[in-house]
Amino acid sequence: MQRRTFLASFAATLAPRLTWADIGAPAFLAAGKRGEDFFLHGLSASGASLFRIALPGRGHAAAAHPVRAEAVAFARRPGTFALVIDCATGETRHRLAPPEGMQFNGHGAYSLDGTLLMTSEVVAETSEGRIGLWDTAHYTRLTDWPSHGIGPHEIKRLPDGRLVVANGGIQTDPVDRTKLNIPDMRPNLTLLAEDGALIDQIELLDLRQNSIRHLALQGDTIAFAMQWEGDPAEPVSQLGLWTPGTAPVLCPPAAAEAFTMQGYAGSIAATADRILITSPKGGALMIFAADGTPVATHLRADLCGASASGGTFTVTDGQGAIWSADVQGLTPLATDETQWDNHLVALT
Amino acid sequence: MPQTDRPPLATIAIPRLPPPLWGRAGVGGLPSLALMLLLSGPAAADTAAVVADHARPGYAAFDDAVARLADVESCDPEALRPAFQVAYDAWMAVEHLHLGPSEEDGRALSILFWPDPKGLGAKAQTALLKADPASLSLDGMAQQSVAARGLSGLERLLFPTKPLAADPCPLIQVTIDDLARQAAVLSADWGPFGDTLLSAGQAGNTRFLKPEEATQALFTQLATGLEFIADRRIGRPLATFDKPRPDLAEGQASGRALANITLSLKGLRGLAVSLSPDSARTLAAFDHAINLSETLNDPLLDHITDPQAWLKLEILQQAVRATRDAAIAEIGPALGVELGFNSQDGD
Repeated sequence: MQRRTFLASFAATLAPRLTWADIGAPAFLAAGKRGEDFFLHGLSASGASLFRIALPGRGHAAAAHPVRAEAVAFARRPGTFALVIDCATGETRHRLAPPEGMQFNGHGAYSLDGTLLMTSEVVAETSEGRIGLWDTAHYTRLTDWPSHGIGPHEIKRLPDGRLVVANGGIQTDPVDRTKLNIPDMRPNLTLLAEDGALIDQIELLDLRQNSIRHLALQGDTIAFAMQWEGDPAEPVSQLGLWTPGTAPVLCPPAAAEAFTMQGYAGSIAATADRILITSPKGGALMIFAADGTPVATHLRADLCGASASGGTFTVTDGQGAIWSADVQGLTPLATDETQWDNHLVALT
Repeated sequence: MPQTDRPPLATIAIPRLPPPLWGRAGVGGLPSLALMLLLSGPAAADTAAVVADHARPGYAAFDDAVARLADVESCDPEALRPAFQVAYDAWMAVEHLHLGPSEEDGRALSILFWPDPKGLGAKAQTALLKADPASLSLDGMAQQSVAARGLSGLERLLFPTKPLAADPCPLIQVTIDDLARQAAVLSADWGPFGDTLLSAGQAGNTRFLKPEEATQALFTQLATGLEFIADRRIGRPLATFDKPRPDLAEGQASGRALANITLSLKGLRGLAVSLSPDSARTLAAFDHAINLSETLNDPLLDHITDPQAWLKLEILQQAVRATRDAAIAEIGPALGVELGFNSQDGD
């Protein structure tokens, strides 16, 4: 056997089992646009692109398999594709399509052991929320659960296996994303058991036009980021904290910065003692203490992707830059011509 | 001597080089060209012109106007109103620049807090009026709610629509002094912040990593400024055909409702001229909107309870939106920039 042939067949044998460590231990996944083309990138902790894989359209977020070097890239909503990508070879292993009449909604999460993938979905006609379940051995559809709300967006698996769902509350046109129910919207946060049973749910009764959309975990607390659909002249919180079993707490910014985020948080990330939210519309990020006290605001146009890894925050923007963020400021890590999309997903 | 059609020197456009994709160092208006010769960096001509011809002189003029307001030796509203109006006019020329020093520490909000649908400013101000006047200090004002300060705060004191809770004189004085300090800080800080824009893309500039980032930031101000006029300055009083809300217009008490629309359009036109002086379609759209606004003949916008007048204001709103569309279609490609990839998209 030729050495090259041997190596190729050796690689082929191992390829399906390669772990993230085997492919250079990327720290993050991020979707982006370069020129007119869309890609999913694996990024090092210092923001270097370790690999990039072409996507058929604009991406949104990704979910990383906990062990295998395998990720699901979700389309921007309303999503018609979710691609299971072998991050070692760049090949698309599976192309997931939602069942007839359903749409992906931009986010997903794996079970702790990686055997299940959960996807946030809506019934296209009504925006009624569902959580799709997929067996990751061959990515076959198993079933779906109700999300117990309208327009679920981000979902997060808790370390004990429960699933928290940000039901954004917004009914959208299945084709053009026009918002259809702003006066009557009712977002909620829903906690599901491992078998999909409803455990708990909260609503913000005085702020029903504050769409709960993105999530980060900090110990037992669920930090949630919101987007305000009401009068833009009203100062409202973009961050809330919920420890299941207690009432949610809203975390307003400092009074002078009540409008810095333009009512919009695009991503959220949490370390052990800090929470960070970004606003591409406001061109800003805010860092809060664990109790929700605002501690810093930094300005940068079109910031959106945010992730916490190893106790530090990394953020990305639509101008191609990747930054390290702390209370003192933003430090550029890398810049190129890829416009980074909404989310930066940590692999650790 | 016969009038000529020659435009003023500052707006003479000399031909622009076709823009390469990045790192453009083209040419623009004459003042900015002169400035370019002094600069070794790669700042784009559009950025240099906005800094030198629009932002810095605009903030300096506002600083001057507020200083003259502070020089009025009186607490009499009648005596203060003319200088107040001049200062408010000057703010309308730069109010759309939501970047740099105006966005730090809530400074722009502390100069103009509008709209204020919850009446936060009046509530905070009533508490200040009732407080011991001896407790009012310049440093103390800096700690007060941004909603109680600045031009919006002064308007409530100089043009009260209902009896004030106490003698406003001490609060008027400290509000003016606070405003003067903010104006001076803004003007001074645009020195270094202007340099930061001009050095976009150079080593050590961690604010703007590429030259076009500064251009994009300024271009974004143009688009969002026009949105603010259409959605808020016009949109809030316009409300709905069935229920117009002239009471929600900005500057109602001081009679500035329509003037603010006109002046902010002119301020943004100035930004557009500096950014891209050859943008004929955009400038024509501006001129059309400004002309509609100047001929509306409804200074308080209180005629809009009449359907004819309401429709005229709606036509002005459409003209402002058309100006934004023209700027995005014409100036964006000319400068090689777009509005934010994420900020325009939602999730």
